[in-house]
Amino acid sequence: MMGEISNFFGMKVFTDDGVYVGRVAEVIIDTDTKVIRGLALVEYNKAVVNSNAKGVIIPYRIVKAVGDIVIVKNVFKSKKVEQEQQDQQGQ
Amino acid sequence: MEIGARNLARKVVVLTDGTIVGTLYNITVDYKTGALLNLIVRPRTEIPEFNKEENMYIIPFEYVRAIKDYIVVDRRKVRS
Repeated sequence: MMGEISNFFGMKVFTDDGVYVGRVAEVIIDTDTKVIRGLALVEYNKAVVNSNAKGVIIPYRIVKAVGDIVIVKNVFKSKKVEQEQQDQQGQ
Repeated sequence: MEIGARNLARKVVVLTDGTIVGTLYNITVDYKTGALLNLIVRPRTEIPEFNKEENMYIIPFEYVRAIKDYIVVDRRKVRS
Protein backbone atom coordinates (compact mmCIF):
# COMPACT_ATOMS: atom_id res chain seq x y z
CA MET A 1 0.00 0.00 0.00
CA MET A 2 1.16 3.51 -0.80
CA GLY A 3 0.79 6.48 1.50
CA GLU A 4 2.26 9.78 2.61
CA ILE A 5 5.05 9.93 5.14
CA SER A 6 3.20 12.48 7.29
CA ASN A 7 0.51 9.86 8.01
CA PHE A 8 2.99 8.15 10.33
CA PHE A 9 3.16 11.01 12.80
CA GLY A 10 1.15 10.23 15.92
CA MET A 11 0.32 6.68 14.79
CA LYS A 12 0.19 4.08 17.53
CA VAL A 13 2.39 1.02 17.18
CA PHE A 14 1.32 -2.46 18.29
CA THR A 15 2.89 -5.90 17.95
CA ASP A 16 1.12 -8.68 16.06
CA ASP A 17 0.22 -10.06 19.51
CA GLY A 18 -1.73 -6.89 20.24
CA VAL A 19 0.80 -5.42 22.66
CA TYR A 20 1.18 -1.63 22.66
CA VAL A 21 4.73 -0.53 21.73
CA GLY A 22 4.62 3.27 21.36
CA ARG A 23 3.60 6.32 19.32
CA VAL A 24 5.46 7.50 16.19
CA ALA A 25 7.17 10.86 16.71
CA GLU A 26 9.61 10.81 13.79
CA VAL A 27 10.38 8.82 10.65
CA ILE A 28 14.10 8.25 9.98
CA ILE A 29 14.88 8.07 6.27
CA ASP A 30 18.08 7.00 4.55
CA THR A 31 18.76 9.42 1.70
CA ASP A 32 21.37 7.14 0.09
CA THR A 33 19.30 3.96 -0.19
CA LYS A 34 16.03 5.96 -0.44
CA VAL A 35 14.12 3.91 2.09
CA ILE A 36 12.67 4.43 5.56
CA ARG A 37 15.28 3.30 8.05
CA GLY A 38 13.19 3.28 11.19
CA LEU A 39 10.46 4.84 13.29
CA ALA A 40 11.26 6.91 16.37
CA LEU A 41 8.72 6.20 19.11
CA VAL A 42 7.77 8.17 22.21
CA GLU A 43 5.47 7.21 25.09
CA TYR A 44 6.73 3.68 24.58
CA ASN A 45 5.74 0.66 26.63
CA LYS A 46 8.37 0.26 29.34
CA ALA A 47 7.26 -3.34 29.88
CA VAL A 48 8.26 -4.12 26.29
CA VAL A 49 11.40 -2.02 25.86
CA ASN A 50 13.69 -1.90 28.86
CA SER A 51 15.15 1.62 28.71
CA ASN A 52 15.18 4.94 30.52
CA ALA A 53 15.49 6.98 27.31
CA LYS A 54 12.78 9.41 26.26
CA GLY A 55 12.20 7.51 23.05
CA VAL A 56 13.28 4.45 21.11
CA ILE A 57 13.92 3.79 17.41
CA ILE A 58 12.55 0.59 15.89
CA PRO A 59 13.97 -0.65 12.55
CA TYR A 60 11.52 -0.50 9.63
CA ARG A 61 12.20 -4.14 8.71
CA ILE A 62 10.06 -5.32 11.66
CA VAL A 63 7.04 -3.34 10.36
CA LYS A 64 4.37 -5.70 9.02
CA ALA A 65 1.45 -3.41 8.24
CA VAL A 66 0.55 0.29 8.25
CA GLY A 67 -3.03 1.56 8.28
CA ASP A 68 -4.80 3.32 11.12
CA ILE A 69 -2.07 1.87 13.35
CA VAL A 70 1.35 0.32 12.75
CA ILE A 71 1.76 -3.42 13.36
CA VAL A 72 5.28 -4.74 14.00
CA LYS A 73 6.70 -8.20 14.47
CA ASN A 74 6.95 -9.09 18.12
CA VAL A 75 10.73 -9.06 18.51
CA PHE A 76 10.40 -7.85 22.08
CA LYS A 77 9.68 -11.21 23.68
CA SER A 78 11.97 -11.81 26.59
CA LYS A 79 13.93 -15.05 26.72
CA LYS A 80 11.88 -16.10 29.73
CA VAL A 81 8.58 -15.79 27.81
CA GLU A 82 10.02 -17.68 24.84
CA GLN A 83 11.16 -20.47 27.14
CA GLU A 84 7.69 -20.69 28.71
CA GLN A 85 6.08 -20.92 25.25
CA GLN A 86 8.46 -23.66 24.22
CA ASP A 87 7.66 -25.54 27.40
CA GLN A 88 3.93 -25.24 26.69
CA GLN A 89 4.38 -26.51 23.14
CA GLY A 90 6.40 -29.42 24.45
CA GLN A 91 3.59 -30.56 26.73
CA MET B 1 22.88 9.77 5.36
CA GLU B 2 20.04 9.43 7.83
CA ILE B 3 17.66 12.31 8.43
CA GLY B 4 14.37 12.78 10.23
CA ALA B 5 11.37 13.31 7.97
CA ARG B 6 10.22 16.30 10.01
CA ASN B 7 13.48 18.08 9.14
CA LEU B 8 12.64 17.76 5.45
CA ALA B 9 9.29 19.50 5.69
CA ARG B 10 9.18 22.80 3.80
CA LYS B 11 12.74 22.40 2.50
CA VAL B 12 13.36 24.14 -0.81
CA VAL B 13 13.58 21.88 -3.87
CA VAL B 14 16.00 23.03 -6.57
CA LEU B 15 17.10 21.59 -9.92
CA THR B 16 20.74 20.97 -10.81
CA ASP B 17 20.62 24.01 -13.14
CA GLY B 18 19.73 26.23 -10.18
CA THR B 19 15.98 26.59 -10.79
CA ILE B 20 13.87 26.71 -7.63
CA VAL B 21 10.97 24.27 -8.02
CA GLY B 22 9.16 24.94 -4.75
CA THR B 23 8.94 23.67 -1.18
CA LEU B 24 8.56 20.06 -0.07
CA TYR B 25 5.03 19.28 1.07
CA ASN B 26 5.14 15.51 1.60
CA ILE B 27 6.79 12.25 0.50
CA THR B 28 4.89 9.18 -0.70
CA VAL B 29 6.17 5.82 0.52
CA ASP B 30 5.49 2.12 0.00
CA TYR B 31 4.38 1.03 3.47
CA LYS B 32 5.31 -2.59 2.77
CA THR B 33 8.97 -2.05 1.83
CA GLY B 34 9.54 1.42 3.26
CA ALA B 35 10.74 2.64 -0.15
CA LEU B 36 10.48 6.38 -0.78
CA LEU B 37 8.49 6.84 -4.01
CA ASN B 38 7.76 10.48 -4.82
CA LEU B 39 8.35 14.00 -3.57
CA ILE B 40 5.19 16.11 -3.39
CA VAL B 41 6.28 19.69 -3.95
CA ARG B 42 4.31 22.91 -3.58
CA PRO B 43 5.23 24.81 -6.77
CA ARG B 44 6.97 28.17 -6.80
CA THR B 45 7.86 28.28 -10.50
CA GLU B 46 6.16 26.67 -13.48
CA ILE B 47 8.19 23.75 -14.86
CA PRO B 48 6.24 21.98 -17.60
CA GLU B 49 8.27 18.73 -17.43
CA PHE B 50 6.82 17.72 -14.05
CA ASN B 51 3.56 15.87 -13.50
CA LYS B 52 1.06 17.97 -11.61
CA GLU B 53 -1.66 16.57 -9.37
CA GLU B 54 -4.02 18.80 -7.41
CA ASN B 55 -1.66 21.74 -8.03
CA MET B 56 1.37 19.86 -6.56
CA TYR B 57 4.38 18.52 -8.43
CA ILE B 58 4.93 14.75 -8.19
CA ILE B 59 8.67 14.13 -8.57
CA PRO B 60 10.02 10.53 -8.48
CA PHE B 61 12.45 10.10 -5.58
CA GLU B 62 15.01 8.50 -7.90
CA TYR B 63 15.59 11.93 -9.48
CA VAL B 64 16.88 13.25 -6.14
CA ARG B 65 20.62 13.88 -6.32
CA ALA B 66 21.29 15.25 -2.82
CA ILE B 67 19.54 16.31 0.37
CA LYS B 68 21.03 18.67 2.89
CA ASP B 69 20.00 22.31 3.25
CA TYR B 70 18.22 22.01 -0.09
CA ILE B 71 16.76 19.05 -1.98
CA VAL B 72 18.56 18.84 -5.32
CA VAL B 73 16.75 17.17 -8.23
CA ASP B 74 18.67 16.07 -11.33
CA ARG B 75 17.29 18.07 -14.27
CA ARG B 76 18.75 15.74 -16.92
CA LYS B 77 16.77 12.80 -15.54
CA VAL B 78 13.60 14.89 -15.65
CA ARG B 79 14.00 15.62 -19.36
CA SER B 80 14.64 12.03 -20.43
